[in-house]
Amino acid sequence: MALVNLSSPHHHNLSKTSRLMMWVLLATLPGLAAQSYFYGYGTLINLIWASGLALGFEALVLRLRNRPIAPYLTDGSALVTAFLLALALPPFSPWWLTLVAVLFSIVFAKHLYGGLGNNPFNPAMVGYALCLIAFPVSMTQWAGTEATLTFGQQLHWFWLESVTGGIDAWTRATPLDLMRHPKGLTLNELASSNPQLGLGLTASMWVNLAYLLGGLALLAKRVFTWHAPVAMLASLGFFAGLFHMGEPDLYPSASQHLLTGATMLAAFFIVTDPVTSATSRKGKLVFGAGVGLLVFIIRSFGNYPDAFAFAILLMNLSAPLIDTYTQPKAYGHRPKRSDSQGDKR
Amino acid sequence: MHKIWSFHGGVHPNENKSQSNQLPIVVMPTPKQLVLPLSQHIGKAAKAVVEPGDYVLKGQLIASAQGFVSANIHAPSSGYVSALAERTLPHQSALSGPCIIIDTDGKDQWVELNPTTNPESLSKSELLNLIHAAGITGMGGASFPSAVKLQLKSDIHTLIINAAECEPYITADDRLMREYADQIIVGIQLLQQLLGQPRCLIGIEDNKPEAITALNLALSHNIGQQTAQHTNIEVCVIPTKYPSGGEKQLVEILTGHQVPHGGIPANIGIVCQNVGTAKAIFDAIIKGQPLIKRITTVTGKAAANAGNYQVLIGTQVEDLLAFAKVDLTRTSRLVMGGPMMGFTIQDTQTPLVKGSNCILAAADLELASVADHHACIRCGQCEVACPADLLPQQLFWFAKAEEFEKAQDHNLSDCIECGACAWVCPSQIPLVQYYRYAKGRVKSINSEAHLAELARMRFETREQRLADEKSAKEEKRKIRAVAAAAVQAAKRAANPTAEDPIAAALARVSKQKQEQQTAAAPKSSEEVYKELKTAAAITRTKLKKTSTALANAKAKDHEQEASLQQTVDQLTVKAEAAQAELKAYEAKLGLDPEKEKILLVAVAKTNAAIRKLEKTLATAEDSQALGEDITEAKAAHQIATQALADHQAKPAPAQES
Repeated sequence: MALVNLSSPHHHNLSKTSRLMMWVLLATLPGLAAQSYFYGYGTLINLIWASGLALGFEALVLRLRNRPIAPYLTDGSALVTAFLLALALPPFSPWWLTLVAVLFSIVFAKHLYGGLGNNPFNPAMVGYALCLIAFPVSMTQWAGTEATLTFGQQLHWFWLESVTGGIDAWTRATPLDLMRHPKGLTLNELASSNPQLGLGLTASMWVNLAYLLGGLALLAKRVFTWHAPVAMLASLGFFAGLFHMGEPDLYPSASQHLLTGATMLAAFFIVTDPVTSATSRKGKLVFGAGVGLLVFIIRSFGNYPDAFAFAILLMNLSAPLIDTYTQPKAYGHRPKRSDSQGDKR
Repeated sequence: MHKIWSFHGGVHPNENKSQSNQLPIVVMPTPKQLVLPLSQHIGKAAKAVVEPGDYVLKGQLIASAQGFVSANIHAPSSGYVSALAERTLPHQSALSGPCIIIDTDGKDQWVELNPTTNPESLSKSELLNLIHAAGITGMGGASFPSAVKLQLKSDIHTLIINAAECEPYITADDRLMREYADQIIVGIQLLQQLLGQPRCLIGIEDNKPEAITALNLALSHNIGQQTAQHTNIEVCVIPTKYPSGGEKQLVEILTGHQVPHGGIPANIGIVCQNVGTAKAIFDAIIKGQPLIKRITTVTGKAAANAGNYQVLIGTQVEDLLAFAKVDLTRTSRLVMGGPMMGFTIQDTQTPLVKGSNCILAAADLELASVADHHACIRCGQCEVACPADLLPQQLFWFAKAEEFEKAQDHNLSDCIECGACAWVCPSQIPLVQYYRYAKGRVKSINSEAHLAELARMRFETREQRLADEKSAKEEKRKIRAVAAAAVQAAKRAANPTAEDPIAAALARVSKQKQEQQTAAAPKSSEEVYKELKTAAAITRTKLKKTSTALANAKAKDHEQEASLQQTVDQLTVKAEAAQAELKAYEAKLGLDPEKEKILLVAVAKTNAAIRKLEKTLATAEDSQALGEDITEAKAAHQIATQALADHQAKPAPAQES
């Protein structure tokens, strides 16, 4: 048999990118389940629709770019984008809203920048932010928790945007929205006057805990390191706690911040996107902390229902800068460690 | 127990050591032919000291070390040197290089050996000389000449014996330690003696319990014989993690210190030696045997008799493979060294050298196949795995984009090419290949820059030298002028009544001329004209020279300035006079040099016109018209010639009149 000439190493742990992506997809399932339990079938319908669209667009663009379709399609990256979008979009998203978001994510944010690995911005967040700016009304129709649509009703809304009793009967402001516009009340007065808030916070908490569970599983599988998510949660918690201590009537507590909105989804599934975040461990700490701070600022003083899309896109912008200043000290570049062991004689 | 530190990163590939570490070392019989590359160590190639046809004994020096970093090579068995020829070298490049080829005679007859009976009495330099003479190089794979590594100026507080053997599949050191632990300990003691009795830490991975037991047993034997103080040796069991056997990593594991960037362990008082090197030192000093054999692992699924073999240096791979019953039809990949850092060979006649610790004959699918790699998603697993604490993902992007400066900023040179990053890469990118490429390019760019710098320096030096020569000349000339002036001044001072010598000389010359003129009369007007011209030219030249001298004198602020000024004035007058005389004579002769020039040109021009016309006539059809033109031109030429002749003839009648 002819002997081959290959460069070392001749060994590999046989891991694959597609397997990493699969783990990410699997880890979203608890969150998906919780979201569906509290807000109905909307998210599930969205997810299926977005996945189909993402694969379709991905294949189309790969064909246009003269790239082999099968290996790229099976790497799972398009599906991850679709999942994240579907989970982040409101359960009452009509079909076209998801389509616009997916189209923009896959075609513009990902492939026009060179495809997997080359995109400077998180594709899902670009699609989400575009819709947030272009269709603010549709993007704020979050489902209520007390009664959910049947699957048929939900599908009907999805295609035709009509639903028995009108959409207003089924949608509610999110807890974050309620807390930002307290109409002159303190947060405690708001909670006692509006039972929606308490219900919303409870549902939101369970959804976030479900995402936390999925995230911890990924951490255990070493799909990513702890640095970015922990830094983000710590920074968000720190600033929320600080302001809450100063003005408890105006600012929600740290735990409310950590367990509402898309906090955990973002912390474990979006901030950890390796392509668009900072690359070194130290860099990831800075990146995560930056996202946490921006989320707090935009949630507390901005005009949008949630803050993740903008916070993450802004930090995506700064990732190359962070990389430049957070290079780890390579072996032999560290100043000599002090000799505590009396090694020298 | 000695405290153990850790190093950043590292990976845990399947060890695959049990295939080859179960059976004792088998001594491979002497092969028919041995191929000994002159360059099988880091540094300069050795120089052959035998000729084809020579008979050599086992252990006889056949190539001697050249320069500081080099190593001797000895005949591994007795026989005839059949050739000095180019053979494929054991290297990734598969280039060939000069080798000594020995046809063994099977007698295996030793040269006379000089074993040492009381090594304690040997001085440091004697030990060093023995190690150098035995041609010992690092047995772990890098093959750096040991004598050079041990020849240290700085104080050494720790000797580290590398027994980690962290590469998967390789078990040569493992078996060596199990079977030769006593000799290894003695070798270590010799090293300690050479280095000024530093403490010794033996770093060994915990996946070799039998070897650890054997070493500890050997140590306890030793303590029985000697004082405890004398055996300051400790076996340090370290966790199995690739690449803990990397020199820098092992230093950090055992001492908590890092070898500074660009430095060697000796910079922080540490020397590292492989456990196989300690055994080779024992052989060299206690037995007097030079380095002519080693233990090599043969393993992989294609090897029926996987195990460890004691082979002679220079054994060709195919001989060993045949002895170990390797089915070459079952393998498409022969790796020399381990699967993480080894290189593939295609030529099975490649020889085993001092650093060849393993031959891995992998069956198909036993090792990772070359899959198409995917895009880098910066997942950072490589960064987690990197034992040098680099950012492999960034280095990959820089290498791919040929941004070598950035790659260097990210410490490309600190990459030890261990392969941990590529091993974990989920996109299966051959990262190490990218780094090797980038390193090669950086090296060539640097050497080009170095050459350009040298050229620039050469050019500048030359310019400087030319300028220096010029100014030195100028300086000399000035000194000469001053000296001459001084002599003149001295002369004048000695004889104040004498008139100015230049003026006197000039007067003499003019007097002579006048005499000549009057004596040689009657001269033709032409002669007179010529003389006048010469006289005018001479006076002009003299004037010029004196003016320069004056200028110099002025520059030097010399006392002779006044007299020179006088001379210049005189000469100016004279020159003017000569010129006037010349002009007057010309007028008298009716000569007009300007007019003569014009006429000469006219003659030449008409002549050329005729030639041209005649040439055209030879080829042209309208010969008549041309003929007329020629006649016309000839007439013009005639007129011009006549005018010139008239002009030149004029002086003659003038003189006659």
